[in-house]
Amino acid sequence: MDRREALRILATGAALQLAPGNLLSVLREARALAGSQAAPRALNPHQDATVKAMAEMILPRTDTPGAADVGAAEFIDLILADWCVQQERALFLNGLADVDERSQTLFSQDFVECSAVQQADILNALGEKMEQEERMREQGHSPEAPPEPERRFYPMLRQLTLTAYYTSEAGATQELNFQIIPDRHDGCAAMQSGKQGQESQ
Amino acid sequence: MKEETAYDAIVIGSGMTGGWAAKELTEKGLKTLVLEAGRPIVPEQDYVEHVPAWEMKYRGLGDRRRQFVDQPIQRLCYACDEWSAKFFVSDTEHPYTQEAGKPFPWIRGRQVGGRSIMWGRQSYRWSDLDFEANLRDGIAIDWPIRYADLAPWYDHVEDFVGISGEALGLPQLPDSRFLPPMELNCAEKVVREAMAKHFGSERVLTIGRCAILTRDHNGRAACHYCGPCERGCITRSYFSSVNATLPAAEKTGRMTLRPFSIVHSVNFDARTRRAAGVRVIDARTSAALEFRAKIIFLCASALESVRILFNSSTPGFPNGLGNSSGELGHNLMDHIKAGGADGTIPGNEDRIELGRRPNGIYVPRFRNVKTKQEGFLRGYGFQGGGSRDGWERGITQTGFGPGFKNSIRQPGPWRFTFYGFGECLPNHNNFVELDKEKVDAWGIPVLKIHCAWSENELALRKDMSISAAEMLAAAGARNIEPFTDDASPGLAIHEMGTARMGRDPKTSVLNAYNQLHDVKNLFITDGGAMTSSSCVNPSLTYMALTARACDHAVAEMKRGNL
Repeated sequence: MDRREALRILATGAALQLAPGNLLSVLREARALAGSQAAPRALNPHQDATVKAMAEMILPRTDTPGAADVGAAEFIDLILADWCVQQERALFLNGLADVDERSQTLFSQDFVECSAVQQADILNALGEKMEQEERMREQGHSPEAPPEPERRFYPMLRQLTLTAYYTSEAGATQELNFQIIPDRHDGCAAMQSGKQGQESQ
Repeated sequence: MKEETAYDAIVIGSGMTGGWAAKELTEKGLKTLVLEAGRPIVPEQDYVEHVPAWEMKYRGLGDRRRQFVDQPIQRLCYACDEWSAKFFVSDTEHPYTQEAGKPFPWIRGRQVGGRSIMWGRQSYRWSDLDFEANLRDGIAIDWPIRYADLAPWYDHVEDFVGISGEALGLPQLPDSRFLPPMELNCAEKVVREAMAKHFGSERVLTIGRCAILTRDHNGRAACHYCGPCERGCITRSYFSSVNATLPAAEKTGRMTLRPFSIVHSVNFDARTRRAAGVRVIDARTSAALEFRAKIIFLCASALESVRILFNSSTPGFPNGLGNSSGELGHNLMDHIKAGGADGTIPGNEDRIELGRRPNGIYVPRFRNVKTKQEGFLRGYGFQGGGSRDGWERGITQTGFGPGFKNSIRQPGPWRFTFYGFGECLPNHNNFVELDKEKVDAWGIPVLKIHCAWSENELALRKDMSISAAEMLAAAGARNIEPFTDDASPGLAIHEMGTARMGRDPKTSVLNAYNQLHDVKNLFITDGGAMTSSSCVNPSLTYMALTARACDHAVAEMKRGNL
């Protein structure tokens, strides 16, 4: 066992104080909990499918897991249900409805039914709108105006999707090479070309 | 078994200064009772620095709805996050009031270790530029001590604590007895070199001086660069009372540490003119208890110690025990912050910082040091530092798909921020008093805080943004954005000055040894003692003052004066 692993285990001393039998039952319980995936609470099945599709488009599976692999939609549902205040939740759900409205206008079908190219068109349009609003905000135009639903939806979706992904175990460790215990500091190290992520390597 | 109620010494509070009082008094042979209002801390269970975000319910976004209700003030502190919120008080259990229109967020920790668990760890000596400041400017009263009085006590605490940093030989920021400094990162080296070229020796950038070990020291292990010290440290690599002073006191066999012990008041014996003991409410049973001792150290924080004295009024001291001067609770100070600038530093795109260094840079004060500055008294120092932008930058970008994901995998540009901390002038009109109409969860009257910045502090903040932008420009930074945010007093969490030291009992609460002029066996060694605020972080000075006061107290006991 190296020093990093030893420190890591030390830090979970609470778990070590359990008798081996108890430890096993805790692990069994954790697996059972993970298996019985609770149904979404803030999102209905259609909204859930739309969020899943959009999140996976933003951060797809590549040589590392993608948004769907790490359960980004489940995290977004949790945040909407338990963390957001009512206005924020409404803003997000209205924004989601507007995505379908936009999709219906352009392609006569809901977002989830669109082709990949059509979905990309919609995400690009949402991105342009986000940039436009950012420019307006910087120029000081109507900063006090209440946000239209869709105006703030896309940055919110992006924030939650990126948070869900990069703070997940796979996103942090596989994508960004995050290490809980770096056990060293080098203020100005040469980056090795290729696959390395941005976190301490 | 009946609980022991008589001791040589009682220390009220187990944080930064309480831990030091416990260590010094027990090591000098005193049987010492340490009273802590909060719960005990067991590092192996309570420290959470190695729990990754994916094991947290909200992935670090915090239990926001609960905090809106229970910690609306505490959550304003950056360290009160999903991991460390448990180290901060419940605002509903521990209320206080503020004068309308004068917000003062009061950030508190009630547990063994107090705020030394979540403190920022920056550690700087004060200098005679600070100790002579009031006298020179004709403001408030003069300090009764000078740097030479405290220097040996800085040595004493630093040898135990372990301060890493770089010696600079600057008169306005004396060097500590340093462990090796942490390393600057690429962007910080660029800014340091540019500043040396542009400002010569006037403005200097150095690594932060911090109470984090860069090599094994006194049985505590060197830092392993996991990052979030404010969640605890299983290797005891940063200094806190839980990590260092309380174990040392425990080792003497003379300390009784009593958690869940809320001190209501100090009992004053009008015949002997001495403090006889303390009245305590047990937080779990609400039982009223009394403990006696020959000397009492108030180390409960600048505001809590004063609250205890207000609640200890007697016929002879109707406005608070030891308050014949009328200065108790007055002259509340905090450092003014939230002025500075940030920008991006071109170059070094092929380089990266490895490990999460829990420390930043420091620029020692350069205003009103050698030359007189127009527009304000005193000065400020800069904290801050450089880092490459992380994945968060992807939120406001519009890209998506494999190309976007691969671009975010790589680190973003080097960004550098200067963040000022400025001196606050003592002002009699910034004060606390008892709120006669409100009590806490244990029925103890709470404090009402009256505090606002003066023109001088606001001028300092404005100058921070200008000088920070100048330094970034000198370093060739791009996208330079000066800022002055509207942060209330309180948010630097350096509240101090409410029981100031001085030579004259008519204008000060404490003498040159942190001893109450009015009650000789009662000492205050927390932030309350400060006569001015300097612009540097105060904890190291509180520690040195505490050790010095303990030495004096024990010597006075031996001489039969206490």
